[in-house]
Order: sequence, then C-alpha cells, then structure tokens
Amino acid sequence: MFNEELKAFRRLGFRHVLLQILNFASVIASGLMIWKGLGLFTNSESPIVVVLSGSMEPAFYRGDLLFLTNPPNQRYNTGDITVYKIPGADIPIVHRVLETHDVPNKRKRSRSKDAVKTPQNSSLPNQLLLTKGDNNLVDDIELYQGLEWLERQHIIGKVRGFLPYVGYVTIAMNDFPQLKYALLGGLGLLALLQRE
Amino acid sequence: MHNIVARGNNLFAFLSSCTMALLAAIALSSFLFTPIPTGVVDITSLKVYNVNARRYRNRKQEVALVNFNLTADLNSLFHWNTKQVFVYLEAKYENTQGANNTVVIWDRIVRRKEDAHINFTGKNKYMFRELSTSFKNVPPANFSLKYNVMPWVGLLTYGEAARTSEPIEFPPVS
Repeated sequence: MFNEELKAFRRLGFRHVLLQILNFASVIASGLMIWKGLGLFTNSESPIVVVLSGSMEPAFYRGDLLFLTNPPNQRYNTGDITVYKIPGADIPIVHRVLETHDVPNKRKRSRSKDAVKTPQNSSLPNQLLLTKGDNNLVDDIELYQGLEWLERQHIIGKVRGFLPYVGYVTIAMNDFPQLKYALLGGLGLLALLQRE
Repeated sequence: MHNIVARGNNLFAFLSSCTMALLAAIALSSFLFTPIPTGVVDITSLKVYNVNARRYRNRKQEVALVNFNLTADLNSLFHWNTKQVFVYLEAKYENTQGANNTVVIWDRIVRRKEDAHINFTGKNKYMFRELSTSFKNVPPANFSLKYNVMPWVGLLTYGEAARTSEPIEFPPVS
C-alpha cells in the first residue's frame, strides 16, 4: 500500500526529510508567533477563546469563537462581556458584567510595600466587578470560590468580536482525543511525504 | 499535481477564502447602519430597605427597591447582522467613599424585531446594594437604559437609548 511512498522516501533521501521537518517546524513556530504576537497586541493572555458552556445562550453557544482585548488603560463597564479565570478554577468563564465599583486606589500603598505585584496602570482605580451569565438566573458569586468580587487581575479580556461555530473543532478534539492524534499524525505524515 | 487530493485541496482552500471574505463583508456591513434608538426611563419610586446580607446571615445590609416605567423603541438596532440586543437599565452613582459605582438593576434580551418595542413597568430584577452596605448620605443616582447589539458575525457594539433627566435621591431607610 505504502510501497510507492516508501520508495519515494528512499529516493529523496535524508536531506529531504530534514527539509520537510524544518518546514513543519517553521509552520508551527509561525503559528505560535502569531498567537503570542496577538496576545502582546491585545494585552490578553489568550486573545481568542472558544465558548465551552451554554451560560451565555442565546448569545454565545458552545463552539463559538470570541476575540478579546484587554486594554490596560480602560475600565470595564456594565454590559461588557468578560472572560475571567479565578485562581484554582481550571477553565476560563465568559460572563457579562453586572456591577462595577471603582474603588479609589487606597489599597495600592500596602501592596507596593510588599512589591510583589505592581498594578497594571496606577492611574486606573481598583475595579471590583460582579458578573452574571445571560442564561443564568443568579450572579456569579458562587463561582468566585470565596472571593467577594472579581478584580482586574482575574480578567483575561473583554469580548470584542464574534465568529460562530468555528471553535467546535477544538471541542471535538477535546472530547475525542483520538481525533487530535489522528489529525496531528496525519499532518505530520503528509508533511514528510509531500513532494514539491 | 492534478490528482484528486490536490484538486480537493484547492477547491477547499478557495471555498474557505470565499467564506472568510463573505463573513468579513457581512461584519463590516453592520457599520453602514446608523441606529437611533429612542426611549424614556421614568423612575416612579425609590425606597431603601434593611435586609439580611447575602453571605453573612447575621449581618444587615441596605438594598434599594426601584420601581420604574420603561419605554423604548429599538427597531433601528435590528438589521440583517443583528442576532440579539441585550438591553439593560443601569444605575450610576458615587458613594460616600468616593467610589464610582454602576449597577445593572434590570435587563432583557430582545431577539426579534417584533419585540423591539419595549414597554415595561415594574421593579428591579437584580439586588441593588451598596458596597459600604448603606445608602445613607449617598449622592443621587442617575439611571440610564443601555444596549449591546450582538451580531451574527463581527464586532459587538454598545450604546445608550435613554436616561433620567435628573438624578434620583436615595431616601432614608424605611
């Protein structure tokens, strides 16, 4: 079945294999560079996220793709849809801001004394946020794992753009890991055997 | 070069770039529409009550009860790239500690153009509490009706449909 390919493989030799591996690596590297560059540009650790739950239905369904930004000098408003991650929780949550409280920077002095973490922008007040999923009946306090309010440091970004369904590929790959390996293996094999 | 895989690959690549271009055009087209939503927010009464705090049963907390009339015409927000409109009534005030607060007290999801004419009379849907647990001496609050247009594809847009003409004062605890 693969005789033809194997023969071609032998004929092309070792250098060709190396070249193809290099090609493959450069594809992966440029993907990573685009992702990280986007993250730098939007100031968000993950500028594109996939919706994993139905708590924002009927606006966002499972598998929809969201584009985020997190400008350091902008406050969050009510009605903004944030993506946040509580320390200790394993997946980020996409919910809408219900309350904002801009507390004047009083706590900051004690924080700078420890000098552990510098605030992102000192001109901004310390914002306390409360969020709620459009499809949930109550707000998110129970999801905050003991925290009273959501703070800026927990927020990954604000949803700016929306593209339906595209992210379902990643959900499918998470639900069926075999698919992931098959896809990766297939791509790798194709990259090695490809003749230009 | 001209085997079935190469042809399929080419076709698929072409189709996906066409879809991308179409989606981009649809997303951009929503900027051609200039929405002019109108509305009136009328706060009929604002009362402050003392209730048990949510997390700490032994602690007391003040909550505000807002009764309001709301009329809004959001027809102009619905165009071919509108999936739904999220409308919300927001209270904005500064408390005695100098913190700026915005609290959503009511919201509604409008999914069809037929429902875009809102006529609502009632009270706040979400608990309206103060950070310091008391509304005593808190300056008057402004109420505004805001909206968020959520597209089928593209960027989310925000705006304001109506606001109270003058700030509403918080009465003493009743």
